Amino acid sequence: MIRSTHIPRRTFLRGLGTALALPALEAMLPARALAAGSAKFPTRMAFVYIPNGVIPEKWHVKGKGSDFQFSHILEPLKSHREDLLIFSGLAHTKARSNGDGAGDHARANATFLTGRQARKTAGADIRVGVSVDQLAAQKIGDKTRLPSLELSSDGRRMSGNCDSGYSCAYQFNLAWKSESTPLPPESDPRLVFERLFSNGKDSERKESSLRRERYKKSILDFVLEDAKSLEKKLGYTDKRKLDEYLTSVRELEKRVAASPNSSVDLPEGFNVPAGKPRDFGAHVRMMGDMMALAFQTDSTRIATYLLAHDGDNRSYPHLGVKGGHHSLSHHRNNSRNIADLTKINRFHCELFAHFLDRLKSIKEGDETLLDHSMIVYGGAIGDGNRHSHHDLPVVLAGNANGAIRTGRHAVYPRETPMSNLFLNMLDIMGAPTQRMGDSTGRLKELA
Amino acid sequence: MKFIITILFLLSAVWVSAADLAKVSFEKDILPILEEHCFSCHGEGEAKGDLSLDGFKTASDVHRGYKIWEKVRKLVLANEMPPQKKKKRPDAKQRALLTDWTRHTLDTFYRTSPPDPGRVTVRRLNRVEYNNTIRDLMRVDFKPAKDFPADDSGYGFDNIGDVLTMSPLLMEKYFAAAEEIAAKAVAVSDADGRIAATPFQKFHFRYPVPLKLRRNAAEEFVRTFLTRAYRRPVRAEEVRRMMLLAKQVVDDGGSFEHGIRMAVAATLVSPHFLFRWELDGAPKNPKAIRSLNEHELASRLSYFIWNSMPDDALLKLVQRGHLRKNLPAQIRRMLRDEKAQSLVTNFTGQWLQLRDLEILQPDKRLFATFNNTLRTEMRRETEMLFAHVMRDNRSVVDLLNADYTFVNERLANWYGLKNVKGGQFRRVSLKGTPRGGVLTHASVLTLTSDPNRTSPVKRGKYVLENILGTPPPPAPDNVPELEAAAELKGTLRQQMVKHRENPVCASCHQKMDPIGFAFENFDAIGRWRTMDNGEPINAASQLDSGEKFRDAAGLRKVLAVRKRDLFVRCLTEKMLTFALGRGLEFHDKRAVDGIMKQMERDGFKFETLVMGIVKSLPFDMKRGEEGVNDQ
Repeated sequence: MIRSTHIPRRTFLRGLGTALALPALEAMLPARALAAGSAKFPTRMAFVYIPNGVIPEKWHVKGKGSDFQFSHILEPLKSHREDLLIFSGLAHTKARSNGDGAGDHARANATFLTGRQARKTAGADIRVGVSVDQLAAQKIGDKTRLPSLELSSDGRRMSGNCDSGYSCAYQFNLAWKSESTPLPPESDPRLVFERLFSNGKDSERKESSLRRERYKKSILDFVLEDAKSLEKKLGYTDKRKLDEYLTSVRELEKRVAASPNSSVDLPEGFNVPAGKPRDFGAHVRMMGDMMALAFQTDSTRIATYLLAHDGDNRSYPHLGVKGGHHSLSHHRNNSRNIADLTKINRFHCELFAHFLDRLKSIKEGDETLLDHSMIVYGGAIGDGNRHSHHDLPVVLAGNANGAIRTGRHAVYPRETPMSNLFLNMLDIMGAPTQRMGDSTGRLKELA
Repeated sequence: MKFIITILFLLSAVWVSAADLAKVSFEKDILPILEEHCFSCHGEGEAKGDLSLDGFKTASDVHRGYKIWEKVRKLVLANEMPPQKKKKRPDAKQRALLTDWTRHTLDTFYRTSPPDPGRVTVRRLNRVEYNNTIRDLMRVDFKPAKDFPADDSGYGFDNIGDVLTMSPLLMEKYFAAAEEIAAKAVAVSDADGRIAATPFQKFHFRYPVPLKLRRNAAEEFVRTFLTRAYRRPVRAEEVRRMMLLAKQVVDDGGSFEHGIRMAVAATLVSPHFLFRWELDGAPKNPKAIRSLNEHELASRLSYFIWNSMPDDALLKLVQRGHLRKNLPAQIRRMLRDEKAQSLVTNFTGQWLQLRDLEILQPDKRLFATFNNTLRTEMRRETEMLFAHVMRDNRSVVDLLNADYTFVNERLANWYGLKNVKGGQFRRVSLKGTPRGGVLTHASVLTLTSDPNRTSPVKRGKYVLENILGTPPPPAPDNVPELEAAAELKGTLRQQMVKHRENPVCASCHQKMDPIGFAFENFDAIGRWRTMDNGEPINAASQLDSGEKFRDAAGLRKVLAVRKRDLFVRCLTEKMLTFALGRGLEFHDKRAVDGIMKQMERDGFKFETLVMGIVKSLPFDMKRGEEGVNDQ
């Protein structure tokens, strides 16, 4: 790693008062990020998933381009008007049945970032596709301590069968490292925090961390050899399991090799999360804070967050909503159900607004962290009542270092693959690819 | 509208008896239906969705293509094929003939095919298994896996090899846990050489370990520890490598115990520990069928009943090659060991979905009396009934119709039972009450409700899926929109009957709803009630298959008597899935039939179920793997 020209983050961060007032990052950016002359801040990318579709009439904004009026559901994002790009017309055709029968929730969840048709199986041979965040992580993940960060509000799976014959793996993971390996998300903010700042505790630092890292390296070598000795004795699927193991060990090895001191200190004054709050809103806000913190400290540049898995039947009593979200989403045009759903849709937007507020409050140079990010908020079901997979609710926030023209409502032709947007985003992240999922080409006029 | 419903009702009663099905001819009776309704897209040169059906010319062709035909049947049954938009669609009789015959001919084929134990994909320890194994191997009990990411599940369980994936995040956790466990289980001597040896150390070493014996002691430790951790004999080479690793620490100036810690940490992240391998001579030959060796059998057995590694008693039998001979006694012993509580918690937690109780949130304003204590105690009641059936080797049908249950004062009050004082759970009679069996436990009634009201649909679906093993076909792809209804009045049931006027919905809902109606006397948190929305509740109904009942007690009788075999089969299939760690395949039908037969002979005893599973072909044997198919 070329780190000679920058100040170690630990030293840099120690003197600071609070995380919120964290000033410019450029002094501590790895030399590589400053290449190409311009002192650009790295571009960060995140995806936030909302389940069960929306009430389309209450979601859609009126007017095109910069001349648009906020809808009722999106209104909580009003203060970020200039940072938003609101999409109409995007679709995920691979979330449709296409001959596989019921299971729209599982499919929507699995297709959202992969653009691929999930293989219908309750277990054997699960398969969908590599997700957009992981395509980016493959290319640029080595620039940060964690290639990517996976988060969810759901720490548990519902027991029993998941959606209509689909394994729960499809419904509870957004990120897929390979087409058969999902990346399980972390749901406890305390654990996320500890992961980001694992070496930050004073007590641990005192112990000869170098020796510990060296031993860790020995163990890694040891178990890699164990694994290799197994390799030739296995059938097809067992081999795949061993490959998952090997990949995971190698990734850890890379991290250990990169630098034993590469983790970041906690900015003083930051409240260490005590655990998972019972209150859903508080939980979601805290997860947003964790993503912001991970981006702020350049611990990773890529994050995915399952705000709730598709098909989620959580209740929202504090909104005065009776009934579970999923049950309500099949509203039968009952006006009270529709009103309740609208409240839930809007509440999710409020939570997202909090995340954007946080990103915006963090200064980077003359701009903010939000200006150096592109955060996609949305889901792979349009109208929750009908399980439609076109005209998806999708909003993008942040101009990604000027790569995206925000402050407008972009209307694309019906059935434009969402995967096309992913191609643009991969370009921006420096991980271009010609195809992904069901993409047919890049979106025009994004910049 | 009424007219349509009547017609639909009549049509849905179309069915063909098994005897008649045997006489059905593929060429004369089935092929014409295909020609008429399917070939325009899936035949005669057309192959939409890569499916062409005109290659199937005889029943044996259908048998060979069973995977395709299972799918065809499913889609026709769910009314998804032919597509709704087709003008000409098969009538109910044609559809029934096609789906019933396919079921019949495939089942006959499955039962007469050569025996096949199937193949289990290597299983990573899931969170529960990891915790239990660490407890038994390291003699420390602090549930290190509580911070691991949740395991994904498949086929309703979270111990399915295919779905238990490995990720860098999990690997990180394994490393951190291994370090922590090693530090907890291996104490280090102080400057004066004194040591507060842990139970783990006392098990493996005789303290103090004299300096000159340390090498031998270490080597002996490594051999014993690896054998236990890997659940198989270890090779000299494996011991040697581990010794080298530990020596590195000692050479570095570390103490003897630091070296042991290193060995422990490395072992706990080794693939040999984290996965349960059953290595084959010919892993890629599906014809290479073999019995498990006794080490493998002991592991399967202990991970089935204890969700943990084999104990010393099992290992001793294995060393002498006596495990198979002693299976009945061992199984009896294991089921009575307190470690079998793990089977109770994890099997019922998933089969009966009791785990969901932890995350459900009944509406606080409507159900102010519901709280976390109750949540735990509801679950406890159902677990205790299951444990009772297990430990006392009772009939599994008790789970459905026990006229007794286990409550403490709080739950007794909830149920309106008198004379139960204190927090202790005890067995009480339910005679003369409307309750009996798990379906009227507050746990199940709560977890099959919406946060604000009961859900007869969910309750019906729950019974069909988890008790009868006859899940309803999934809702049609495009649920047709119901007209915006005026504010509905009356009981929930009356409202639902209104909604069912849509014929497309009715076909499935008449399977689910009547079952759910039977439980309408129990509110969304399991309390007894007689009124709903100001009107008296009517719990009487009739199953799709004809049986009538007046209330939950009546339905219970129907389920425990008329539907008993369906229930026992369902339970057997679920437990076999849990025991194997894979979904059941067509070839497992025979094993399930066999277990059922044994159970029938002795009154459906719990031990017979477990014994039947352990001795069944898929549990006791394995084979090489078929090539990756792309069906």
